[in-house]
Amino acid sequence: MNAPISTLDARRAKAVEAFRVKGVPHRRVEEWKYSDLHAVLGADKVEQAGAAKWAVETLPRGVELFDLAAGNPPDWVQQRLGSLSNTGAMEAASLAFAKSGFALRVAKNGSGEVRVRFSGEGQARVLVVLEESAAVTLIEEADEFSGFQNIGVELVLGPNARLTQTRLTPKADQAIRICEIAASVAKDAVYRAHIADFGGKLSRTELHIGLDGAGAETHLSGVGALNDGHADVTAHVVHASGKTRSTQLFKYVAGGHARGVYQGKVTVAEGANGSDSRQTAKGLLLGNRAEIDLKPELEILADDVQCAHGAAIGDLDAESLFYLRSRGIPEAEARALLMRAFIGDAVDQIESESVRASVWQAVDAALEGLS
Amino acid sequence: MAAIETREKVAELGDKYKYGFVTDIEMERAPKGLSEDTVKYISAKKNEPGWMLEWRLGAFARWKEMREPNWARVHYPKIDYQDAYYYAAPKNTPKKQSLDEVDPKLLETYKKLGIPLHEQMALAGVAVDAVFDSVSVATTFKDKLNEAGVIFCAISEAIRDHSELVKKYLGSVVPVSDNFFATLNSAVFSDGTFVYVPKGVRCPMELSTYFRINANNTGQFERTLIIADEGAYVSYLEGCTAPKRDENQLHAAVVELIALEGAEIKYSTVQNWYPGDENGLGGIYNFVTKRGDCRGARSKISWTQVETGSAITWKYPSVILRGDDTVGEFYSIAIANHFQQADTGTKMIHLGKNTKSRIISKGISAGKAQNTYRGLVSVHPKAEKARNYTQCDSLLIGGECGAHTVPYIEARNPTARIEHEATTSKIAEDQLFYCLQRGIPQDEAVSLIVNGFCKEVLQQLPMEFAVEAQKLVSISLEGSVG
Amino acid sequence: MLEIKDLHAKVDGKEILKGLTLSVGAGEVHAIMGPNGSGKSTLSYVLAGRAGYEITGGSITYKGEDLTTMSPDQRASKGVFLAMQYPVEIPGVTTLTFLKTALNAQRRARGEKEVDAVGVLRLVREKAAAMKVSEEMLKRALNVGFSGGEKKRLEILQMALFQPALAVLDETDSGLDIDALKLVAEGVNALRAPDRAMLVITHYQRLLDYIVPDRVHVLSAGRIIKEGGKELAHELEAKGYEQIIKDAA
Repeated sequence: MNAPISTLDARRAKAVEAFRVKGVPHRRVEEWKYSDLHAVLGADKVEQAGAAKWAVETLPRGVELFDLAAGNPPDWVQQRLGSLSNTGAMEAASLAFAKSGFALRVAKNGSGEVRVRFSGEGQARVLVVLEESAAVTLIEEADEFSGFQNIGVELVLGPNARLTQTRLTPKADQAIRICEIAASVAKDAVYRAHIADFGGKLSRTELHIGLDGAGAETHLSGVGALNDGHADVTAHVVHASGKTRSTQLFKYVAGGHARGVYQGKVTVAEGANGSDSRQTAKGLLLGNRAEIDLKPELEILADDVQCAHGAAIGDLDAESLFYLRSRGIPEAEARALLMRAFIGDAVDQIESESVRASVWQAVDAALEGLS
Repeated sequence: MAAIETREKVAELGDKYKYGFVTDIEMERAPKGLSEDTVKYISAKKNEPGWMLEWRLGAFARWKEMREPNWARVHYPKIDYQDAYYYAAPKNTPKKQSLDEVDPKLLETYKKLGIPLHEQMALAGVAVDAVFDSVSVATTFKDKLNEAGVIFCAISEAIRDHSELVKKYLGSVVPVSDNFFATLNSAVFSDGTFVYVPKGVRCPMELSTYFRINANNTGQFERTLIIADEGAYVSYLEGCTAPKRDENQLHAAVVELIALEGAEIKYSTVQNWYPGDENGLGGIYNFVTKRGDCRGARSKISWTQVETGSAITWKYPSVILRGDDTVGEFYSIAIANHFQQADTGTKMIHLGKNTKSRIISKGISAGKAQNTYRGLVSVHPKAEKARNYTQCDSLLIGGECGAHTVPYIEARNPTARIEHEATTSKIAEDQLFYCLQRGIPQDEAVSLIVNGFCKEVLQQLPMEFAVEAQKLVSISLEGSVG
Repeated sequence: MLEIKDLHAKVDGKEILKGLTLSVGAGEVHAIMGPNGSGKSTLSYVLAGRAGYEITGGSITYKGEDLTTMSPDQRASKGVFLAMQYPVEIPGVTTLTFLKTALNAQRRARGEKEVDAVGVLRLVREKAAAMKVSEEMLKRALNVGFSGGEKKRLEILQMALFQPALAVLDETDSGLDIDALKLVAEGVNALRAPDRAMLVITHYQRLLDYIVPDRVHVLSAGRIIKEGGKELAHELEAKGYEQIIKDAA
């Protein structure tokens, strides 16, 4: 572990250096094996990407908002921004070069729903701090656009805090969309995230989650409904403390030339006894030129653990399809029904009804092109 | 608390490596180090034809340009490839007419190893091509195999006597420049086994080779090539042990299997190379490339391995499912105790239609060991209706070891079905208590539970191997629960 | 046979048994009844010597020896058998292999000659018929995929096979339908013998209609609060635990 870097400026300087050393990741970098960013994006594009536009559309009372483009960040921003920075090249880039973004702070026991919209090209940085027992739903939407967008998000969950995040990225064939989420989850806090990705030229959400105190939990889920395009979720959950729990449930449907990627790594650190982790990733491959790549990984360094993962790739069950058709349901409709059923349990992880409805809407639109 | 007890208990295990004796036989060696001259020396010692020397030199040239791989989860000090011998053979290799002419000390070694080389052999129905360091010493049961038309001999012999077959197949599954260790092997392999089972022949007995690294500071680079011609069947067993020495020894083998149309090859390994002592001193570095090619339609290749030895294991027995309707299997038990590091798994490459693969992996970690399963299931666009099932379980004994699972699943055909499941857990306290309550002592209870955990794999081994493997599982873990 | 005096025991740092005293003579069948959380299962695990069940006071004497210093497998070899409420599944280990391993481990510990595979099979078959345990069940992995009734029948089969001097039956009736209950009870009754003591732990009186005890003890909050003959079980059934506990206080 690196010693904490004292100032925001120093963290930024370090990030600049890290990105310049690593450059834009390519497929020979293990973590980017299935998403060759280098093939579609030059390093100069990253450095000169400019500021991504953002808007906080709803903000509960009592939640502090600070625009990072404004000067003189307050202490809580100074201290935390970039403190969860890891060594990933694109995460470093967003810290190093983002000229826009915001920081949110939710006071102890505060709660509410925050809606955020990102639009257009460029980079941005986000910091969300939840103090003890705060509970927030963070809904992130995006507009269609073309070009390159890179957003780095840091989430700091205090003891017993609850953060439920939903990230909805609509289909955008010409978009290169990268998002890195780093979360530190304290004792008894729960972080939930749902990633609904409908594909881009290259679309990737990275999650680095530290379960840092006993009783901490994270529950990740997501869908990739792709009738073309590329969607990648790469998650690394570290059970740094014992008595922690994590679950992951990801579903992909890929047709046309689509490529769905899931890489999920769970680490149970030495001594983190009583950790419990489940991972499920499933893919439905529907196009002759589509591809699904799954890499569920376990790294276990403690013995009193229960960890499991399951992964499966297949096509629609012929028998079920026949059954539905025998009841008079036309093939296309029957296929859509089965695809919805396949994706359903992942979408149902979304708590907000309105978000769930909009994800279903997007799923249905994507499936229409597939059945 | 339990950890300290475990440490104390495992310390006692150091003396239990029963294959740790050294046989004192005068050896003939190539000069130390690795150069073109070493390669020429080995080739000359083997009376090899010119084409073989060219092949080796080509490999050596490639190797010099290559880098040692570093992606596996194994750590070891840098190997000085110039500080080792690449050829060692018992001096005065006799031209054997019968077993009586073999150095009695050598036979004594085999006896200690428990290889039934004499009359027991007939009863056991096993033909053994025993490789003592680099030279094949005694081959039995040639007659019966000859009758069936099966060629089972040292690869050096095959290079001279069956050069057409060797030329056609050698390097056709594991190309010369496949990877660092395989390329090194291609340059300096000293001996190994060659099997050819002709069309339609079911090999009349299980074939078996015991390899043994005896001379000190000697790398062993054996090369195995097995070809099952159309409709043929062969089951091959490989057992490995090495003496106890403080320095690390390198073992970089290459095994190539070719199954033509309708053929089946079953390859079983019980690997018990010296694992090093309880402080991690010594032990074999086992860097092995094993790959099978289901080249013909409806062929089948099945790997079964029980890996309990070696300080470091780096091996991924793989199957290329090239022909339509071919089947690949990988059954593995990997046990790592003390400071052992194992990074092992398989690759199933589905190229043909209706290809099926099955992977059952059981990893057990104890002491301070690190055990990694690393596997790839890849379905190519033309592999219509490919099927894979993978079950990958890890068992942890003690809180200082690690168990890791790294599966890669890549599907590019919509009719493919792939299923992968993995679990990691420790021996359940309630299972242990249940056994104790019925009067079964701790070590025996652990062995019972672990053998149960491994059962699906043990079942794949031929009977006589299964018994040995079960015992090995028990010995490797004795005292590991505090 | 078994003398428990002023036994105190802790689990996870919490005192569960708080001065339990009990005496069971050879040839006797005693029932321990008590509500949930009274310490019934703790008592059975303490007797069997399960790790994590810490004795903090009092004594357990079995056949004149201090039981508390023995490891669980030593106790088993000396004839202490615990029929568990939730028999454990051990995948990959066939039932027959398990029985053979256990039987021979016990015999070895007692300095007796081990029984070969054929001998074990013969012994097991003898006992299996009475408990309606099929050959097919014996070939399956221990308790894996067994129904509740099958698991309990296998426990009693083991009791018959090992011929313990002290059998502790922990909630053997739980999860059994009436037919299975009768079968299990018959199996237990067949094993009643002048040189064998039994401790039947149960929540309900139902089991005691079939295994009629010599003495009944009511356990509450880690102590025996009332003792009596078999009629005490009926009294409990009629009044309920709450009333009996109140009366005793």
